[in-house]
Amino acid sequence: MSPGRIRALIILAVLVLWEALPRSGLVPVLFLPPLSLTLAVLAADWPTFAAALGVTLSEVAVALVFAVGGGLLTGALVGGLAGPRRLLLPVFSSLYAVPLVVLYPVMTAWFGIGAESKIAFASVYGFFPTMLATAAGIRTIDPQLLLTARSMGATPAQRLLLVILPAAIPTVLSGLRLGGALVIVGVVVAEMLIASAGIGYLVTFARTVLDSPRVFAGVLLVLLIAIGFDLAMRWVERRCALWSTAGRPQSAPAAAVPT
Amino acid sequence: MQPLAELNRDAAPAPRGMIEVSGLNHAYATRQGPVQALENVALTVGQGRFTVIVGPSGCGKSSLLMMLAGLRAASAGQILCAGRPITAPDPDRVGVVFQEANLFPWLTALDNVAFPLTLRRAPKAERQARARAMLELVGLGDAATRYPHELSGGMKQRVSIARGLVQDPPVLLLDEPFAALDEQTRMAMGEELLRIWAATRKTVVFVTHSLTEAVYLADEVLVMSARPGRIIDRMPVPLPRPRSYEMMASAEFGRLRDRIWQQIKAPAR
Repeated sequence: MSPGRIRALIILAVLVLWEALPRSGLVPVLFLPPLSLTLAVLAADWPTFAAALGVTLSEVAVALVFAVGGGLLTGALVGGLAGPRRLLLPVFSSLYAVPLVVLYPVMTAWFGIGAESKIAFASVYGFFPTMLATAAGIRTIDPQLLLTARSMGATPAQRLLLVILPAAIPTVLSGLRLGGALVIVGVVVAEMLIASAGIGYLVTFARTVLDSPRVFAGVLLVLLIAIGFDLAMRWVERRCALWSTAGRPQSAPAAAVPT
Repeated sequence: MQPLAELNRDAAPAPRGMIEVSGLNHAYATRQGPVQALENVALTVGQGRFTVIVGPSGCGKSSLLMMLAGLRAASAGQILCAGRPITAPDPDRVGVVFQEANLFPWLTALDNVAFPLTLRRAPKAERQARARAMLELVGLGDAATRYPHELSGGMKQRVSIARGLVQDPPVLLLDEPFAALDEQTRMAMGEELLRIWAATRKTVVFVTHSLTEAVYLADEVLVMSARPGRIIDRMPVPLPRPRSYEMMASAEFGRLRDRIWQQIKAPAR
């Protein structure tokens, strides 16, 4: 059996158990509402869930811009220039280990309990891995490639745009994947702690009133966001890193090249 | 030949060689004190000549080549190329081929060859036409759309040579270009390089530590001593051209090869 088929079977088994365990009475419905009930609640109250999904997605989108944009820029700077690297890299590496969630209450004090505090927190949360991965990616570039570019008369700007950035893409992409995942985590966690809207808020609110089906409906939506992000990243990786996938089918050069 | 005629008309007085190096010294600091890497190196390479620099490892022959390429500054001395000093990389005058092919893995063979023209913002049609012509020259006309990971070691190095020639510089510098290749490929690449050289009439400076390669390729072999690197012998290679594999078995070839070996083995003090 192929790994893909086994994966599909595992997912199917989880879904079946999700339905069967509470239905058979083995697990109380309060702990685990059946899948069908969860989906029914999701459908019945769709306007509420859709609004929450919209709030969460927009927060994730804006935080992604800050985390990824800031992470790429700072990472390029820290990775590319010795001065900023010696100054900042030890600090950033240490900060990465700090559980940043302790800062979240401070952020609500600064930015209020609306979207701004979620965006601020998730941006900081996703910034560090993106930045560290970009810095590492730029530092691991083969210096011979830069020497070669220099021998061909490349200016510093051309070396950055035409050599360093393309060479850093694979590492940067893995940073984006990690950073993006943490942005989603950051937004949802922030919504669950102190908020008035979003899926995280919905989940926490339903939990306090012991409304399990709504809790699981929210969890399902978060899962969908994460899967959607993963699919998007895979698409980007396929587009950007064609060259790094050795063993891809070879094109027929003779036919493809008009001479 | 048109370019040479123009060169002689423009430059007054006419340069003795395409490359002229005089009084080149290089020292660098280490924790143990200053190290003299090159000592009073002087050399002249005539237009269209194939010169090979050979010497023991660490003699500074690669450093010397990097200086000729404008990629490294010497402590003292002068390097003239086509009558003008070399102070920075100048792809109009000098093309460089390194030990590793150093192709950009995200570009096709064609785009790699065209890269120097991309840097100068040449029109796309011109870039592609030039790059295609260079790939044809090195015998890789049908590999234009392949990526470096789809090419063998020898093919990569041929792409690298095509890239070094794409701006049509009068000088081509090669830094142990075949050292990373297996023996068979290495022999074939030497032959290939001589064919390309004959077709383009470039002035070539080729660094190697292989004595056989040096004698097989060169018009003149410059032998360098161990550190501090000095040129201890200038040996013309009177073997006829085109060179052939059979010549390597000749007594003359052996005598030339032995003359280099005797000097590298027991460096002059």
